[in-house]
This record gives sequence, C-alpha cells and structure tokens, in this order.
Amino acid sequence: MRKSSNNPADLNDIQQFLYHEARLLDEQRWEEWNDLYLEDAEYWVPAAADQPDPHNHVSLIYETGLLRAVRVKRYRHPNAFSLQPKPRSVHLVSNVILDSFDKNTSEYCVNSRFVMLQYRREQQDVFAGAYRHRLRVVKEGFKIAAKRVDLLNCDAPLENILIYL
Amino acid sequence: MQHYTDAQLADLIRRDAVHKKVYTDPDIFELELARIWNRAWIYVGHDSQVKQPGDYFATSIGKQPVVMTRHRDGKVHVLFNRCSHKGAQVVGDTCGNLPQLRCSYHGYVFDTDGALIHVPNAEGYDGVDFGKGKPGSDMRRVARVDSYHGLVFASLDAAGPDLKTWLGGAAASIDNLVERSPQGRIEIAGGCFRYLHDSNWKMFVENLNDAMHPMVVHQSSSGTAKRVFDERLQEGDPLPFELEMLAPFTNNYDFFEKMGLTAWDYGHSVTGGKFSIHSAYSPIPGYMEALVEKYGEQKAREILAVNRHNTVVYPSFTLKGAITSIRVVKPVAVDKTVIESWVFRQVGAPEELFRRSVTYCNLINSHANLVGPDDYEAYHRLQHGLQTQDGNEWVSQHRYLGQDELDADGARHAVGTSDMVFRHQFDAWKDYMVTAA
Ligand code: FES
Ligand SMILES: [Fe+2]
Repeated sequence: MRKSSNNPADLNDIQQFLYHEARLLDEQRWEEWNDLYLEDAEYWVPAAADQPDPHNHVSLIYETGLLRAVRVKRYRHPNAFSLQPKPRSVHLVSNVILDSFDKNTSEYCVNSRFVMLQYRREQQDVFAGAYRHRLRVVKEGFKIAAKRVDLLNCDAPLENILIYL
Repeated sequence: MQHYTDAQLADLIRRDAVHKKVYTDPDIFELELARIWNRAWIYVGHDSQVKQPGDYFATSIGKQPVVMTRHRDGKVHVLFNRCSHKGAQVVGDTCGNLPQLRCSYHGYVFDTDGALIHVPNAEGYDGVDFGKGKPGSDMRRVARVDSYHGLVFASLDAAGPDLKTWLGGAAASIDNLVERSPQGRIEIAGGCFRYLHDSNWKMFVENLNDAMHPMVVHQSSSGTAKRVFDERLQEGDPLPFELEMLAPFTNNYDFFEKMGLTAWDYGHSVTGGKFSIHSAYSPIPGYMEALVEKYGEQKAREILAVNRHNTVVYPSFTLKGAITSIRVVKPVAVDKTVIESWVFRQVGAPEELFRRSVTYCNLINSHANLVGPDDYEAYHRLQHGLQTQDGNEWVSQHRYLGQDELDADGARHAVGTSDMVFRHQFDAWKDYMVTAA
C-alpha cells in the first residue's frame, strides 16, 4: 500500500468528495457538478477496454470545459426530447483507493468502482465500472483535474446513456 | 408466421404512403431477412481489418454469424460461422489472427478458406459422406463476395447484379471517400460504436436522408452549442471544430431544400452533392497540398468540392465522405436494430483530419452524446406511435410527390426535403419482397 493511503484523513475527505460528486449528479445539480471540474479538465468515457488515449479511437464521451458547458445547458433545454421524460439516476461509489499523490501538481490519483442506475420511461439500465479521478488540492478542498470512466461493457451494443457516469 | 402473398405485400406500398406493418409486423421483418438481407449486397467489413493471412473479423449478415478471413494466398473469404460437424460457431471472438480455425466442441479444424483440414480420431469417417476432402464437409462460403475500394460486401444469393453495377451512382460516394486520401486509400482505425435502438431498421436508414428533421430534433444540441460558444468565445478566437460541426444541424429549411436529393436503382440515395452540412469546415493545413501533389490542382479541388452528406447503400451501409466514417445497419428484430459507426483514417492525410473524424463520431454517433439520443427518441416514438389502432394505417410520404426528375442516367433528383427518397427506398423494398417466389 502506498504511503498516502496510510493517511486516513485524506482518504475520508476524498471519499466524501466522490460521494458529493455522485450526489450532485443524482440530484441533477448540473451546474454545481460542473463547478467541481477545472475548466480544462478531461471527462472521458472510453469506448474500448484499455483504450490508451482519446485521440486515436472513438470515445463514448470526451469533453473538456466547452463541451461540458453545452451538455449542462442542454439538460435544461425545453426541447431536448431524449430527456423527456426526464431520466433519473443513482450513482454508487465504492472501493476507493488512493493510488498516489503528486507533490508538484498537488494532485491525488484516486481509483474507485461505481454502479450507476439510470431510469427513464419504464426502463432501468445498469452501468458499472471503474473511475479514475485526478483531484487537485485547492483552497476549497478539491477540484477534478481529470476523470476517466471505464465502463465494464463499454464496447457492447448499448442504448442511451443520458446522465454523466 | 402469417403468410403474405405477393399481392398483399405489394398492397403495403402506395405511391404516397406505406402501410405501418412494414415497421411493426414481426412476420414482415422475417420476410425482409429472407428476401432483402439474404439477397442484396450486404456490407461485411473493410479489408484492412484482415491485413495478414489468418486475420479474421467476425460479424453478421442479417442475423447470421459470418466471419471474414484472409487466406494465405491473400484472398478474402466470407464464411458462415458454423462448424460443418454439428453446427457450433467456429470463431468465438470478434477479431484476431488464427492460422487455422479450430472448432471448440470436437476440435475439427478448418483452413482460413473454410476447408476441413483435420478431424481428430478420423477413422470413424471411413466409408461415409463426411470427412477431409469430402463434399459438404467444409465451412460454407457465402454465395458471392466482392469489394469496392477495400469495402467488402457479400451476397447470399448466387444470382443478381455484380457489386459495381448494383452500387450504381452510389459508387461515386465511395470513390470520393477514398480519393480524399492523398494515397487513394482508407484504413480502418479508431474503433467503433455499437448503438442499440428499440426501433425498426428502416427508420434509421430513412432518417439519414430526412432533411426535415435536423432543425427540430437537434435544436437542443446544435442550438445550445451555438449559444454556449457565442458566450464563451472571445473575438478572434479560432472556431473550434466542435462548433463547426454542431452548428449546421440547425441550418434553416432553405439550406436543406437546396442541398438536394439523388437516388439510384436498388434503393441507394444521397443528400447533398455540391454542399452539405459538412462543407463549411475550416481547411486543414497541409491537406490540400498533399492532395495536389497526388492528383494535381484541378482534380484536388474537384475532390474536395464533392459534398455528399449521407450516402445510403440500401439496406446495410451508409457513409459520410467528408467525415471518413461509415454506419452499418444490423437488424436484430422488428423493433431492435444495432447501428455500428466505424471511423477510417485517410492514409497520407494530416492527422488532424482523422482527429476530426473521431471528434465527429464522438459527438454525433455515440449513444452517450447529445445528438444520437435525440434521433433515437424520434425512432422510438415512431415505433410506439405506430402501435395505435386509430384507423390510420398509413405512413405518409406525400412531400413533393410527382415532382421528382429522372435524368438520362436513370438517377432521380428532388429537393432536399422531398419524400422522394423514402418512396424510392420502398420501390426497392417492393422489388425485393414481391419478386421472391
Ligand atoms: S461441432 Fe464443431 S467439431 Fe463438433
Ligand atoms: Fe438526426
């Protein structure tokens, strides 16, 4: 086990932060959720297992600040038909492990597992996988510098994923 | 299964409307598999997916598992993925390299051209009609395989027009796709999305040439993108490609009218030609120069001046030349369809062109993005709306009826928002469905 993960205060703070992120999504507080991210932070859901990068292969989602702003604003658009009726979600985060801390960038690498249930129009879908967060230590606590979501069935034929994983 | 006579099938298609059963009746769907998907040229894969001898790519034609292989003589084969012994699928994974295909049940071994080459404990086959070298003991090949610029198509019907003839005017879209490479070659790269829809396959195919929908369906994504980029971009900032790409979806009706529609025999069609929603992208440094070096100034300009939007090669294959991507239709059930999106690299073009293709597919074709789910929603509502028994059995295709123009080469032309292309697809549908014995 790495040194940083021996520090229980850090781990607890980080877990609370991840739960907070999950809660903002489930409560559809999109703007507050987006505020957790640094402007140039990458939110990335690869379309293949072990995908090395987002540039040489398609991705289910690959967004930085501009595209996140579009999606967040669209959530409130009166004519976003695939969001009518509104989807709902439950995000569960667990198995949180502090992989490392980089002093130079003040960033933690955090690995965790998630289950996300998406419900819309009499259909419930289950998505599960691994999160990799890079969390930058800032005055208010943490900001997300990058989040990678490895969906277990990322390459399966899937219907819509309407809420951030 | 309900039996449809030829006359009953023909009656489902009117000039100005089609009967809703063509989208909702499971028996019609099964007939489509038998009479359209088992007869037309169906896209299988690109030969760059099987570069080396032993490379294979397992996929499907209709609902049947097939495997495309590269044999050691360089030839590409398409085999039914079924062991000649008791019928197990021989190839279990999607792609890879196997010098021989060994069935996982009793270990019978086939060559990459399908020939049975080894049977363990073979004495049992002495004096009977099965075994190495005996007729009927090999993995079966599909009736016909041909390729056009590396795009491999198969037909399960031994009769019928050859691929090039069958493609007709749609072949020019493939020519243009490939000419956009300074080496005249595309290569599979960038992976694939597999987007599951709860609707009939024809709804997707029709939608690609439906120019009445983008400004409605995509107002929340394209419209929002325009607003957000307006707010955030400073004077003089370079226009991000994401905006160049999303903005034209909400162009006005006039734009889509003028884009035009062209259709050829066997149900193929294209929107656009001289311009499309893809024609206003900013130039990529070095790209034009590379094309000029290969083709000369004049031809290079002509290549980039071709702005076909979506080309539909009915029923299985659609492509976007300017984006170097294809979408492949996989019918699963009357109300279930998988759409695969594949991205290619234009060999010899600047990397930026490939990046744009990847970005485009992420933003439009992914099932986790902003554009595709709104199309999905439209098809879903069609599929469910057509469950009503409200006395209206017919689905309209009246727009610009009687105003199509037929040119000397047999191609039909209409304004961009005409229902001509739907009428035309159902003409082809009827030809396939009714002429069967
Ligand atoms: S089923 Fe393939 S070897 Fe028996
Ligand atoms: Fe659309």
